[in-house]
Parts: sequence; C-alpha cells; structure tokens
Amino acid sequence: MIRSAAKALMIRDLRLIWRRRGDALQPALFALLVVVLFALALGGEARELAKVAAAVLWLAVLLAGLLALDTLFRGDADDGSLEQWLLAPVPLAWLVLVRTSMHWATTALPLLVATPFLAELLHLPHEQLPVLLASLALGTPLLSLLGAVVAALTVGMRRSGILIALLALPLYVPILVFGAGSVAAAGQGLDPVGALLLLGAGLVLALVLAPLAAAAAIRIALD
Amino acid sequence: MHPVVRWFHQLGSPPYFERFAARWAPIAYIAGLLVMAYGLYGALFVVPADYQQGDSFRILYIHVPSAWMSMAAFALMALYAAIALIWRIKLCEILAMACAPVGAAFTLITLATGSIWGKPMWGTWWDWDPRLTTELILLFLYLGVIGLYNAIDDRRNASRAAGLLAIVGVALLPVIHYSVTWWNSLHQGQTISLFGTSHMDPSMLPPLWAMVIGTHLWFVGSLLARARADNLRRETGKDWVARLAEPRA
Amino acid sequence: MSYQNYVIAAYCVFAVVMLWDFIAPRLQIRQQLRAARLRATRAGRNTTNEFPLSRE
Repeated sequence: MIRSAAKALMIRDLRLIWRRRGDALQPALFALLVVVLFALALGGEARELAKVAAAVLWLAVLLAGLLALDTLFRGDADDGSLEQWLLAPVPLAWLVLVRTSMHWATTALPLLVATPFLAELLHLPHEQLPVLLASLALGTPLLSLLGAVVAALTVGMRRSGILIALLALPLYVPILVFGAGSVAAAGQGLDPVGALLLLGAGLVLALVLAPLAAAAAIRIALD
Repeated sequence: MHPVVRWFHQLGSPPYFERFAARWAPIAYIAGLLVMAYGLYGALFVVPADYQQGDSFRILYIHVPSAWMSMAAFALMALYAAIALIWRIKLCEILAMACAPVGAAFTLITLATGSIWGKPMWGTWWDWDPRLTTELILLFLYLGVIGLYNAIDDRRNASRAAGLLAIVGVALLPVIHYSVTWWNSLHQGQTISLFGTSHMDPSMLPPLWAMVIGTHLWFVGSLLARARADNLRRETGKDWVARLAEPRA
Repeated sequence: MSYQNYVIAAYCVFAVVMLWDFIAPRLQIRQQLRAARLRATRAGRNTTNEFPLSRE
C-alpha cells in the first residue's frame, strides 16, 4: 500500500512534468540569470569573480529553488487533489516526502547538473568544484524539505510569493552557512568534511521530521 | 488587383500558406545546405591558416554568420510582431513566433563556438566582455519569448503577448549593449581588449559570404517549416486540415 | 598547440544544432497531422449520433 501509493504519485508527477518539460528548465535558467547579474554587478573581472564564485553559485541555486517552491503543492491545492491526500489511507507525511523528492529531482537536480557550467562562467577555481557539488548535493534536499514545510503553511493563501520567501529564508541561513562555508574552508586549505557532515546530519533529521511538520501544516491550511 | 498584392493577401489564407510553405521550405533548406557546404569546404580546406591564430581561425566561419543571424532573426521577429500587433495579421503572428526558436539556435551556436574559440585563443572559456554578455542576454530574450508563447493557452493572445515582448526586447537590446560597454569601460583593469577584431585577408572572405548567405537561406527554410507547424496547430479541427491529414489511399 | 580538436568541436556544435533545427518542425508537423487524422476518424465514427447532445 505504502509502496504502491508512492509509485503512483511518482509516476503522476513525472508525467505531469513531462507534459510541461519546458518548465523544468526554468530554475536552471533563473540560476544562470542570477549568475549573470552578479557577474555584471561585480564588474566581470575573472580574479574578482573567482573569489566569490562559490558563494554566488550557492545563492543562485538557493534562490532558484526558492522560486520553484511555489509549485510544490499549488497545482494539487488548486484542483482539489490535496484534499484527496488528506483522505488517503497512507500517511500524509509519506505523500509529502514522495512529492518533495520528486520536486527536488525535477527542480534541484537540473541545477546541480548546470552547476559546473555556471562555475565556469564565474571562473571558480577547479579544485573547489567537487566540494561545491557535494555541499549542494547535501544542501539542496535540505532546502527542499524545509521549503516544503513553509510551502505547506502557505498553501491556502493567494499571492503568497514574498511571504514564502520571508518565511523560508531565515530557515535557509544555517544551510547556506554550512554549504557555502564548506567550500570557503576548502578554498583556504581547511578540511570541509566537518561542515559537510553537519549538512548530512541535518538532512537525515529533516527527512524524518520535515514531512511530519509539513503534513501538520497542510491539515491546518486546509481546515 | 496587382498580382503581387493579391499573392500577399492569399498568403494570409491558412490553406494557401500551408501549400506555399510545404513547397518552398525544402527548396530553401537545400539551397542553404548547398551554399553552406561550399562555404564550409572553403573554410576548412581552401583558406590558409591564419599566421597568428592558426587553424582555430576556421571557427570564425561558423561563429560570425551565426552571430549576425542571431541578431537579424531578432530584428525580423520584432518586425513581424509589430505588423501583427498593428494590423492584426495572423500570418505575421505565426512568422514572428517561428523566428524565435531558429534565432535562439543561432544564438546558442554563437555562444558555444565563441567559447570554444576563446579557450585556445585567449585561455578562457568565458569572459564578461560586452559583446559576449549582450549575446547571452539576447539568448535570454529569445527564451523569454518562446517561454511566454508556450505559457499562454490561447494562441492568438499568446503570440500578441510574446510579440510585444519581442518588440520591447529589440528596443532595449541596444541600450543593454551600450550599458554593458560603458560598465566595462569603467573597469580599466583590462587595457588590452581581449576580443579585438582581427583583420581578414581578402582571400579569406568568399567562404564567409557563402556561410552568411547559406545561413540566411537555411533560416528561411526553417522559418517556413516552423510556421507551417504552427499554422496546422492553430487550424486543427478545420476541414482542410482533416483532408490534408487523410492517409493517401 | 593543436587546434584541431577545438575546430572539430565547434563544427560539431554547429551540425548538431542545425540538425535539431531541421528535425524539430518536422516532428511537430507530423504530430499535428496525426492529431488531425485521429480527430477525423473519431468524428467519422460518431456520425450515428449516439450522443445527440455532444458537440462533436
């Protein structure tokens, strides 16, 4: 029952995303634009950009994910499927976890794939790239899970765009600090493993707790 | 009525345009291919290697025509869009929207070949130089038009909205280029311009002109093919499309 | 320095993008004609007017 529900939800999400596959590119394009704007604002010189490249890339991925957060539950909230979730015989938290994983796979994974190209645009030193990718691989699921809680809290509201950002960004701060910080540490020759392990621990915790919190939030929002 | 004027009006009829495009698109494609083949042959085998840049100079024969095409397509797209918005000519809506993917493709070629050329030449895959930056923003403008056109369900409203975006884009593009150039000039760290124009020997020009003409012909073919597809999509459900789609017995 | 790989790469990018540019509209046209054919056969089958209130 649990497994078939997950499979059904995953297939449905993939099918929906395939029908609008152009939309799946939008977070990556947004991240690219953020990179362009940062590069222009900072003056475009390779040496200057290389110093801040990792931080800018982290911000680009984070902000792109933030914008994509609105689509996590909105489609289902609009057509009533979310209420069907409440009535389903499987735990709501499980459905939330499956949905969040699919959302991460279709919004954050393209970003991760695009990161090496974006890194090249910002002249990121090549030795920092593996640490950057590792921190993003651990950090983006965390961002998605925390974001899911916030998205669930605001699912009933109209025009909640800025509100989602205001609620989510403070929660994102520790992830950003450890994520971008791990790359900065690596750049200075220190061991980034500590920060990455903390991200990993946070991810494990969030995998268990965030869906529960989001489920509770959905129940509140739909009451 | 003058025959040319009548032909012009006839093109506005969807079935007539379908026949016109189905006939002329392959001709344009083939003509473009032949001219490009001549140009590419010249670029690869006839033109001597540049004494400064060696063989990588040959990339210019793809890079420059694509760059010109990317800008020409955008200007044409804006022109079609303006006609469509002012005179509400459906065919111009279709043609405007058909320009976008082709133009985006050429912009992508420009950026990619420029990057590939830049690596052996100047040691970097990318530089935030005004011309490259403007070309990148041009790509975003194209993608914006395509995205907006696909996001709205009603085809006519979609093309009008995306067309307006194209017009705004073409107006802002010189401003963007000027602003990035000015900004770049403030950063006097690079007193030597990395991407200065190279002076070409006259013997090196014929393949370049061939590539320019070839890409233009190809563009016409692609424009007609895509316009045909969009035309069919808009007219789907009409009898003439059903008759056209009938399997030939 | 061998520029050959770079030249090949650039020309390959050109070829691939142009190929996509050629194929994409052909696929669209084929898809549209197929949809029109299916629609026509569906309309043809329903001429017995089983559902008098339908719009087809």
